[in-house]
Amino acid sequence: MIELLQNLIDGLGRGSIYALLALGVAVIFGVMHLLNFAHGELITVGGYAAYAASNQGWSWYVITPLIIVCAVGASLLIERIAFSRVRGASDFTLLLTSFGVHFVVSAIFLLYVSASVKTFSRPRWVTNTYSVGSLNIEVFDTVVIVVTVITLLATTWLLQRTMFGLALRGAAADFDTARLMGVKSDSVIRGAFALSGLLAGIAGVFWLMRSGSTTPSAGIDPMLSGVLAALIGGLGSLRGAVLGGFVLGLAEVLLRSRLPDGIAPLTDGVVFVLIALLFIFRPQGLITVAHAERV
Amino acid sequence: MFPKFDRDIAFPLLGSLILFGMLAGAGVVYQALFDGGAAERLITVMLIDAIIVLGIQVYVGNTGVLSFGHIGFGAIAGYTFAVLAITPEEKAKRIPDAPFGLADVDMSSTLAIIIAVVVACLAAVILGIGLARSGAQSGAVSATVITLALLFVTHEVSRNWPELTGGERVGLFFPIGGALDTRAPIYLALLGSLIVARLYAQSRSGRLAVAAREDNLAARAMGVNPLVQQMVALIISVAIVAVGASLSVYEDGSLLPENFFFDFTLLTLVMLIVGGRNSVTGAVLGVAVMTAGRELARRLGQDGFEILGIGLDGKPLDWIFRENLQTVFLGLSMLGFMIWRPKGLLDDWELDEWLRSRVRRNHPDPQPEPLPEVVADTTSVLHAEHIDVKFGGFKALADAGLHANGGEVVGIIGPNGAGKTTLVNVITGLVQPSAGEFFIDGDDVSKTQTYELARRGIVRTFQNLRLFGALTVRENVEVSSLIAQSHRIGRTIPDIDALIAEAGLWEHRDRRANALDYGNSRRLELARAAALAPSFLLLDEPTSGMSNSESLEMIEQVRHMAATVGAGVIVIDHDLGFITGISDRIYAFDQGAVIAVGTPEEIQANHRVQAAYLGSTAEA
Amino acid sequence: MLEVAGLTTKYGAISALRDATLTVGSGEVIGLIGPNGAGKTTLLNSVAGLLDPAAGSISFDGVDVTGSSPEKLLRAGLALVPEHRRIFTDMTVEENLKIGGITRSAADRASDLDEMAELFPVLRDKWTTAAGFLSGGEAQQLAIARALMSRPKLLMMDEPSLGLAPILVDVVFNLIATLREQGRTLLVVEQNATRMLAASDRAYVLRSGEIVATGTGTELSGRDDLFDTFVGGAGA
Repeated sequence: MIELLQNLIDGLGRGSIYALLALGVAVIFGVMHLLNFAHGELITVGGYAAYAASNQGWSWYVITPLIIVCAVGASLLIERIAFSRVRGASDFTLLLTSFGVHFVVSAIFLLYVSASVKTFSRPRWVTNTYSVGSLNIEVFDTVVIVVTVITLLATTWLLQRTMFGLALRGAAADFDTARLMGVKSDSVIRGAFALSGLLAGIAGVFWLMRSGSTTPSAGIDPMLSGVLAALIGGLGSLRGAVLGGFVLGLAEVLLRSRLPDGIAPLTDGVVFVLIALLFIFRPQGLITVAHAERV
Repeated sequence: MFPKFDRDIAFPLLGSLILFGMLAGAGVVYQALFDGGAAERLITVMLIDAIIVLGIQVYVGNTGVLSFGHIGFGAIAGYTFAVLAITPEEKAKRIPDAPFGLADVDMSSTLAIIIAVVVACLAAVILGIGLARSGAQSGAVSATVITLALLFVTHEVSRNWPELTGGERVGLFFPIGGALDTRAPIYLALLGSLIVARLYAQSRSGRLAVAAREDNLAARAMGVNPLVQQMVALIISVAIVAVGASLSVYEDGSLLPENFFFDFTLLTLVMLIVGGRNSVTGAVLGVAVMTAGRELARRLGQDGFEILGIGLDGKPLDWIFRENLQTVFLGLSMLGFMIWRPKGLLDDWELDEWLRSRVRRNHPDPQPEPLPEVVADTTSVLHAEHIDVKFGGFKALADAGLHANGGEVVGIIGPNGAGKTTLVNVITGLVQPSAGEFFIDGDDVSKTQTYELARRGIVRTFQNLRLFGALTVRENVEVSSLIAQSHRIGRTIPDIDALIAEAGLWEHRDRRANALDYGNSRRLELARAAALAPSFLLLDEPTSGMSNSESLEMIEQVRHMAATVGAGVIVIDHDLGFITGISDRIYAFDQGAVIAVGTPEEIQANHRVQAAYLGSTAEA
Repeated sequence: MLEVAGLTTKYGAISALRDATLTVGSGEVIGLIGPNGAGKTTLLNSVAGLLDPAAGSISFDGVDVTGSSPEKLLRAGLALVPEHRRIFTDMTVEENLKIGGITRSAADRASDLDEMAELFPVLRDKWTTAAGFLSGGEAQQLAIARALMSRPKLLMMDEPSLGLAPILVDVVFNLIATLREQGRTLLVVEQNATRMLAASDRAYVLRSGEIVATGTGTELSGRDDLFDTFVGGAGA
């Protein structure tokens, strides 16, 4: 029982980061029908910023906002340079464009920094734990969960209560009709990329605090987690994306602690197989978004 | 009839040989120019890359589904091959604890490749089922993510199962320096892959897969089950990739998890995209262009820029010409082509098709003889009753029904939103009714799939035109004819050429469907449906957007086509003149229900029908 | 107010609309009638900026707006209630109306929301209901109210009576009459020709992508060939 509770808390901590990533992926998919394989690059960019700042001896009070600003900036820049040119193109083209962006960004770091791992100092409290009864809780997990909850509440407020949120939801539901209402397509798409970058930036701060390092291809893992979580939740559903993130985090933690020793290193493999099974039984993900086939 | 020996066998074989000669020849020339081990290795790697890219082309090109997973299949094949083919002595050093007694297996490389192909194909079947469930079709996003997940599964397993794979740092080794001492197996595999890829594209399965790529819904309505053809394409494609991957491992002499991961996926996809993913010739061209480009970028990055002996090393351009430039080059090529030329250099141009058209320019096909009329199959019956369809809260059909006998022409009229198209969608299995029954020849087919209904002879056209755009007129008609040959047993299957001539499209037979004007597109839809030798032809607004004279022509054409293939006709139109001119009986719809049934005269005189047309509440 | 000259719009190789010319004066209610597939929706969508015309010009308020984007045209005062209503089903009635007034200031939007609640009592009762739960008639009223929120100078409606029960068709035409009394400028596509002619100052008749007749409601109602034009004379 205690062990399960322990897993639950660990899983929520991990799932929080995935939820933020998945929500960023889902926001972009909503307005552009683009599955962003370059989403993880926002964290890579943040990672190199953290590396540079850490070399200067800056503290995490400065590095944290720096990572977020870099992620938002990179998100907007990528939209401007690449994605704005393929708006309305076929899904095939959109998928490969984002795949191409992923490679260009990581190749630039390969070219101008180095292929090797760059490490930077992590805040000291990241590894601290505290006890509640017989539970051992990481300070880090607590911070992640609290910040994620606040971020999700703020995002909900943004989407539900502001005109920008209304425009974004309208554009995601029916882009043409939203434009007929006067929603500016440029602004709403850029806004979506900014929001997506902001969410990735916050997730990135945690991701980098935990890893304390970055490489040119460091974006692959967070990208995959975000994309898979969005897909588990049901592409196109923002609520589904958040749910998918938590489900993925919990599944990973539970499997890692429950699988027999021989298989435990293969946890990620097992998670993928489970996801494949989920798709076989629920092809549309956990939350279905209706897409009528027009004849 | 199908297959056409010269088009589907002889010319593709010839084309494959020429492409093989060009790629292998280019390699030989390059090696002669730049002597040395590096040049030799570059060409060997290019030839192996070509095999793998051709394999990917078979799936991605013919189905339109973007796969990131083929390199994952490559990893499965590569590891299977390595674990089986490495000598027990070597295995005792690297993986003494290999499971299933694999450490002691001593096997010839040829047998190991065969087993590697079989294992990869088994994995393909499993993944294929998942793809089918996810509703894989051209450009499908979830399908792509599933293939991506496969790539990650194989990567994770190969990293974290050191007992089998030697793990992330050690890996597996053949005797140092590579084990493949002649290039003959590579040449053989390359030629074989070219031939298989080309012959598959021309085969029945290949044609049906391409039809589904162009328009999944229309393909199903013509009796194609896209999932089966996608599975066939996937297995053939994975088999080729598995051969290429095994050879790659053999040639390399070593195997690490990173070899079959993201970078190799990017490389092979860029090669495929740059040349043109829908063409085998394009795949070969892409491999050549990108190998050359990447090598150039690598050298520029290494040695700096130099023209005619004037070196700029250490000069202004140094910030570009740096180590690892080739990776940037690959990424930018992918981006650039997606933004400016998403269909690649060649789109779907094939060398052998071009050769054939040149050879045949002086030998035009003879104009086919007109088709004799076929006695209508008057025994077939289509019957639907008490059909309800709801969209959200909106009732599109309420207790609607329809009865049609073979050989009869039944018209359906009614204003916009009356539920006419919805009824046709129910009859062709595209919309599931919430209530009601639907029978063909007395069999309940309410739950039957669209493609199965088409094979039973219920074939439709679409209001918005759904042709297989990239296919020629002839190829469009051929798709349904292929289905007819295997599923309309016992019916007279009309000759394709004759049917095209009857439709007035003879001179356009080699044009692409998306280049036809509106009237000819409509005529092609009709011919494509008729080629299936249907029991019932369902026509959704065949005169929509046509002028009066064109509409009159269309009446004749519909009558003639139906008589030629002996089919009954169910036709929707808003044009009362057209409907009364053609129908034996007419159903009038309004507000999702049948408001009148009768002969054309009865319907024309019916006040409710007139009111429905000009505004039902006006006279109410 | 709106002048369309020689407008041609194509889908691929297909001309859905050929050489259409029409004018709408300030305060007029103009009907656009014709059978299915005649090009009525194409005409409205081209004017609203959803489709790019292949030839011809559109000028609004004396300014050439050919090829402008929908969001720009809306700001110029041109709103469209699209075919099939296309309300945002996951949003509440209030949110739908708010997004309709996205171009206005917060204060204007608030006062207009009150006005809509008054003009459409049906909507006031369902203010916080998700729009997906509205009946067809309520949804149509919401779509019209949503378009009115931008205070358009010209309101275009595409088949507002489509798929509605007869009693609700009355509601829609009563609404058109109300808007007409308020002096608003309307361009309405309708299949329900008889009623549209009665409700409009002038009307254009389309068939097979071309404007084939024009005149006042009474002129067109009196013409014997109207029925034939509507239901087709090809085989008759």
